[in-house]
Amino acid sequence: MIVADDVRVEFRRGLLRGKVRALNGLSLEVRDGDFFALVGQNGAGKSTAMYCFLGLMKPTSGKIEVMGRVPELGSPLNAGVAYLPEEPHYHLYLTVEEATRYYASLYGKRVSDKAIHEALDRLGLAQFKSLPLSKCSKGMKQKVGIAQCLIHETRLLFLDEPTRGLDPLIVREFRETLRELHQRGATIVMNTHVLSEIEMLANRVAIVDGGKVIAQDDLRNFLTTDRELYSVTFEANGSVPEYLGSAQRSGNLVTGSIPKERLYDFMEFARISGLSVHECSLKKTSLEDSFFKIVKGTGSGA
Amino acid sequence: MSALLRANILADFAFYRRSRLLLAFAVVCLLLTGLSALPAVFSDSGVQSFRSLQAVFSTLNGMLLFLAGAIGLFVISSHLRSRCLKMVFTKPCSPGVWLGSAFLSAVLISLSLNALILGGAVILSLIWHVPVRAALVFISTDNFIVSVGIIAYLMLLATLLHPALAVTFILIFNAEMFYSFDVWTQGAIRAGNSSLYLRVFEKLFHLFYLLLPMVNPFEQKLENVHSSMRVAHAEWKYLVYSLGYVLTLSAFCYFLALFALQRKRHI
Repeated sequence: MIVADDVRVEFRRGLLRGKVRALNGLSLEVRDGDFFALVGQNGAGKSTAMYCFLGLMKPTSGKIEVMGRVPELGSPLNAGVAYLPEEPHYHLYLTVEEATRYYASLYGKRVSDKAIHEALDRLGLAQFKSLPLSKCSKGMKQKVGIAQCLIHETRLLFLDEPTRGLDPLIVREFRETLRELHQRGATIVMNTHVLSEIEMLANRVAIVDGGKVIAQDDLRNFLTTDRELYSVTFEANGSVPEYLGSAQRSGNLVTGSIPKERLYDFMEFARISGLSVHECSLKKTSLEDSFFKIVKGTGSGA
Repeated sequence: MSALLRANILADFAFYRRSRLLLAFAVVCLLLTGLSALPAVFSDSGVQSFRSLQAVFSTLNGMLLFLAGAIGLFVISSHLRSRCLKMVFTKPCSPGVWLGSAFLSAVLISLSLNALILGGAVILSLIWHVPVRAALVFISTDNFIVSVGIIAYLMLLATLLHPALAVTFILIFNAEMFYSFDVWTQGAIRAGNSSLYLRVFEKLFHLFYLLLPMVNPFEQKLENVHSSMRVAHAEWKYLVYSLGYVLTLSAFCYFLALFALQRKRHI
């Protein structure tokens, strides 16, 4: 679906300022049907990579192919593409209904009133259809962006930090809509800092740092389970066992890890001390752990 | 293609309708026109009515040219500055189609307003018992053609410059101003001033005069039509010439603006 090979992007921020290297040999592959997450620190090059995939920026060197063609502004290739920008840069003078109709019409096909109203109903925007976008919250604007994907069969959806600044309720609704679009066959490419969200949605992850991909793999390979360690959480008012590693105390709640061979010792300790154990399970490596390991260079990649 | 043009034109119409700046400008136009119509309201004289009709008609036509320029400028600069074009160009709608739609929408607004002003002038003629003249149609058509050129030129400037700079540019760098500088320096040279600087400036002014687009290329030839409100049969041909000039200018501005638009980073 998307192939980027050794993509470099350099540009000047002003006449007298030096060059900025936004991408420095970025290579990645997004397969048809993937829910692909681009993760990285601020300024890592995630948004620039997305702009290149959308044809909004031209690479200085390297090759990008989206659905087998070089992306260009307003190309007919975009017939199956939708994009939700990080900032709600929408046509603020249009109302919710007008904007939904306008964005849907830009695919060059006739859009029926029924399709517009169904999409607005589905996203809970029907009662706000006459409200100008300038008066809408960010969540409502993002929903207007999503409405176009419900009206047309979107094959490839780009999301640039879609849930930033949204309240938890809208984030949940939004996540469900994305799941539905993915199940309908859309390939989704998402930039985000919310790693827990990626764990819930994505199937493939690329970690971007310094303008290039430093790790790219299936999500499950970033989420490993350590079979030699147990993660425990318990209430303790007095001492804790000496074999408890990485102990962290919050009030009387203690979290830490214990080696597999000391599990029964810990259970005995808990019984004798009358500890209230909240959790005891094999220690899992989260995406956050993998991300820090890879970015800080302490690991060798997934 | 037609669906894309239609969608963009409808969105642009919504922009014009809801633009407070354009609304304020239209209100000022109407107030000024109302003031220039006052004398006729309190007069029984046919000559006074004719003069008032002429004043109202020319004020409205003049204001319309400013409004057309403002429309051309704002429709481009507002979209570029709000960075919403990324929502358009990431769909199968090319910058060429979007720019063409913006131009067409502005031209349609100008056409409607010109027709409205012409209609208003005809109604005033009937109310004030002034004969309805063919010159009204001539002047309205000429005004519409001139407005098309202004729209195209300001759209080009808006893609290249900040709107404030674009306005400053058009106020300073216009063909009429450089024509008068050129005439003045030529006169000084003929009067015996042989300074090298003056000759260089004369060439420079002439070059600018040739390069910069003219708002109304046949203004001097049609001065009589505006003052007398009478048009001779032979003068209608200037509308065709004017149209040819404006279409060429518009095509030039369109392609240059498109070139600039395609090279901008819409992020």
